[in-house]
Amino acid sequence: MSRRTYAAVVSAVLAAEGVLLTWNAWRFEWLRGYDAFANDLYATVVATDLRLPSAAETGVWHTPPLWFALTGGLRRLAEAVGWEAVQRPGQLLAAAAGLAVCVVTFLLARALWPERRGVHVIALVLTAATPALVRASAMYHPETLAAALTGGGLLVCVRGLRSRPTVATGVGGGALLGLAALTRAWALPVLCAALLVIALDAAGRRRWAPVLALFAVAALLIGPWLLNQQLAHGNALAFNRPTPAVSLVERRPASFYLGPRALDVFDHPVTPRFRNELVPQLYADWWGDWSLTWDTPPPPAPGQLLEEGVVGARVRQDVVGLVPTLLALAGLVSLALLAFSRRSLALGLLPLSAGALGLAYLLFAVRFPSTDGDTIKATYLLAMLPCAAVGAAFVVDTARPQGRAWAAGVGVGLAILVAVQLPFLVL
Amino acid sequence: MAARPLTDARAARLGLAVAVALVVLQAVVGAAWSLSHDDPTELELTSRCFTREKLLQVEPTVGDAVASSASGGTLTTLVEGNLVTVAVVTHAREAERLRREYLAVGGDVDARLEVRGRYVRLWHRVPSASQRQTADDCEY
Repeated sequence: MSRRTYAAVVSAVLAAEGVLLTWNAWRFEWLRGYDAFANDLYATVVATDLRLPSAAETGVWHTPPLWFALTGGLRRLAEAVGWEAVQRPGQLLAAAAGLAVCVVTFLLARALWPERRGVHVIALVLTAATPALVRASAMYHPETLAAALTGGGLLVCVRGLRSRPTVATGVGGGALLGLAALTRAWALPVLCAALLVIALDAAGRRRWAPVLALFAVAALLIGPWLLNQQLAHGNALAFNRPTPAVSLVERRPASFYLGPRALDVFDHPVTPRFRNELVPQLYADWWGDWSLTWDTPPPPAPGQLLEEGVVGARVRQDVVGLVPTLLALAGLVSLALLAFSRRSLALGLLPLSAGALGLAYLLFAVRFPSTDGDTIKATYLLAMLPCAAVGAAFVVDTARPQGRAWAAGVGVGLAILVAVQLPFLVL
Repeated sequence: MAARPLTDARAARLGLAVAVALVVLQAVVGAAWSLSHDDPTELELTSRCFTREKLLQVEPTVGDAVASSASGGTLTTLVEGNLVTVAVVTHAREAERLRREYLAVGGDVDARLEVRGRYVRLWHRVPSASQRQTADDCEY
């Protein structure tokens, strides 16, 4: 790929994604997003009273405050200028963060393989065409901001590890990952993975300043929040419901782990089918819209029919998602193997982060079972997207035979992946 | 003999093999479940509700070609002395087709016919509020 074509493709993809995410954020009814009303109450309390809300004031009191503070500020600004849709700036912030996730993924691929332009472009397109990211970018919700900051933190660490981590690496990575954890707690396992990897590097070089800087800056940012949660709610990682009084093993049935109705994702991938079956519900929510919050009326009452075409569109999404999912899994495994083989901490940070996030999420979903499947959402794993997309891009670019025809074939494949999804992705 | 170094291509192939194995494993679990279990259909759930919760006698529908053509199946039961034929459809176009075919019969069908989402019900007499409620309670 020539430098000019490369620049043109990257610019075009980012511009198109920017337009798509802005359009969707503008059109998406803010109340249809996850926890939208509770999010608005939180943002209002933070911005007007300059304090954290109590458990009685909003159901999402357990979420760290950064996004709410920003959105609350934007909300007040909108009110001041007489903009009726006061939640719209919050949605646009989510859209901007969604675009930032795409940029970060592209830069991560470039940091790892500067000379392999194919990997950069494939990673960018796969990220931009991920339905979970596009949907979350339209919502009045902090998830995309957390994913962008987490990705940014990983990028700083990977860049440092590619040469030699410095204090600036520690400060930058710690700041971004600390801010990410101050947006969503899902960044904490990634922060732990980054600390471990930078510490391993420090042990090898006998230079501890970068890891100390990373820890200190992140702790400075996230420490007060965790301390507040511990003092106010008795647990630094408090959640908005009590844990059942049974052991972890007994909290979920075998079907949660096994996903026996997994094949239903190609038949009827919407609520209440395979509810509380981890893999099928996550998959259907990542590639489609399991809970029916996207471009469709709310889930029908018992006995009522879904609108024509709703199920069909989601089945198509789940069929389309099979190959990218396979590639993402393959990519994470490949990167882990390469990291071990080459003793490359930069490569290893990506699968380690994704694994840490996956494990933390699994623990969360087991700790807090819910009858309506509310604690199983694809957007919780959004911070995994940059790692998965870079991994998938590596596999595609490596496994394809050499030659211009094959490169063009990959381009056509990506174009088809995007084109088939467009009717679903554009509101 | 020295171990072969792990090239990019080999890592990608190994990654693909692991990913395919995981996906196939999940598909095998799903297929095994599908073959060994039948999740109850809406009609079965409705029938179960009528018999277990409402203590009604449920029978197969006989002599109603319209109800028998419903893709989700049909059943007949007696609710407080009023015979009702319940047909289950899978999409709105099908519900509309059943409604049109019933109305084509003429008479007072319009007053005895109910179309509610995936359920099309034809009562023998115009149903009372209590009879309707009983039928509504067994919708899924």
